[in-house]
Amino acid sequence: MKKIVYLLIFFSTVFTACDKADSGTTSKTTGTDGNTGQGGSLARFTTAMDHLYVVDDRKLYTYSLANSANPQLKGNIDVGFSIETIFSYKDKLFIGSGTAMYVYSLANPAQPTKLGQATHVRACDPVVANDSLAYVTVRSGSRCGGNVSALIVYDVKYVTQPIERNRVIMESPWGLGLNGNRLYVCNGNNGLNVYDITDPIRPVLKKQLSGNTFYDVIILDNMMIAMIEGGTAIFELKADDEITLAARITN
Amino acid sequence: MTKRPIAWALLPVLLLALASCDPFGRHGRDPEPMPESPKEVDGWAPVYNKDEANKQIKSVEPRTIDKGGKIYVKGDTLYQVESGKGIHVIVLKQPSNPQKVAFINVLGAQEIAIKDNMMYVNNMNDLVVLDITDVRAVKIADRITSVFHLVDPAHPPGTGYYECVDASKGEVVGWKQKTLSYPKCRN
Repeated sequence: MKKIVYLLIFFSTVFTACDKADSGTTSKTTGTDGNTGQGGSLARFTTAMDHLYVVDDRKLYTYSLANSANPQLKGNIDVGFSIETIFSYKDKLFIGSGTAMYVYSLANPAQPTKLGQATHVRACDPVVANDSLAYVTVRSGSRCGGNVSALIVYDVKYVTQPIERNRVIMESPWGLGLNGNRLYVCNGNNGLNVYDITDPIRPVLKKQLSGNTFYDVIILDNMMIAMIEGGTAIFELKADDEITLAARITN
Repeated sequence: MTKRPIAWALLPVLLLALASCDPFGRHGRDPEPMPESPKEVDGWAPVYNKDEANKQIKSVEPRTIDKGGKIYVKGDTLYQVESGKGIHVIVLKQPSNPQKVAFINVLGAQEIAIKDNMMYVNNMNDLVVLDITDVRAVKIADRITSVFHLVDPAHPPGTGYYECVDASKGEVVGWKQKTLSYPKCRN
């Protein structure tokens, strides 16, 4: 019976594209408000609009950081099941679960409200987003379930109804990071893929970085901090997609 | 009454879909009883703590990265979680020469975020606020107990195979991904 349910969910993900794609602007990633830092796309904690948002397996918890030394719990809401990641962009939260991507509004930061969701195949799935698009990776396998591993591009311009625009099959996608017209996607033990997203719904593979098992990245202007097997690697991002390893911290 | 015929009409379609997705009839033998476990499979293994002294949140000398976890950057400092154990503090003033300056013992640590000079970190299922003005001597600013459920000492996060818990190895403070051989437990 469970299989049938999953199949129904799968059929429901066959979105129909009905309006033309726009060229979205790309921008910074999570947690850039005020004097906060930046986490990776696999994070379950994020800060936005002077609040800390936490997701566990099922719920979203909201803490006010008006007094940063003494967070105040504002509430918690049920999101779904197998919640894995949270990402903030401007006044929105993007939450990744084993079966869906959820979008919440921070119009009232103390009380996030659900705007929409896109159900996808069963898999592990971090999210990054900008004004018009959300990039989600889904990785299947024994731990995550499912049988599709891909980078999925959702149109979130009408955020109450995210529309799947494209799907790029990958070997073992993990975390991902956005920087201008480049999208960096960790590909597990297959390295890291750099996509040109000048046409944001059609990522074009520009470069593959091998030599490390990549799990997540944080992009800071001209630096890329990567969570790799055994520790961290620091890369310098240069012109013409040149990426040079500055250091590995693995002991 | 009207819904039933529609459901029955859909059934052949679904059965067909099932058959085409599962040509070898695998659905007949999973998920229970547990099938013979595979020789090599991605799964989870417990992270244990045996040293009572580690229960105290405090800055200690930098230590080796065993199994690097999630990463967070603020200013020129990188924080990397050591899953279940705490946080490595690494200064990146010179990207080619990163300097580990401290390790912060936080049992059960998985997740961090920072605002101003306050670090938010989970200590098992408590939210702890640490004043990191001096990362070599952090102070607990606040603790909010047992709100979320980030660490389950009995089961790994998510489904799949895992290394069974062996209580003689200590208290389970987290889970790490591991390639397992003939695992005996499954979530």
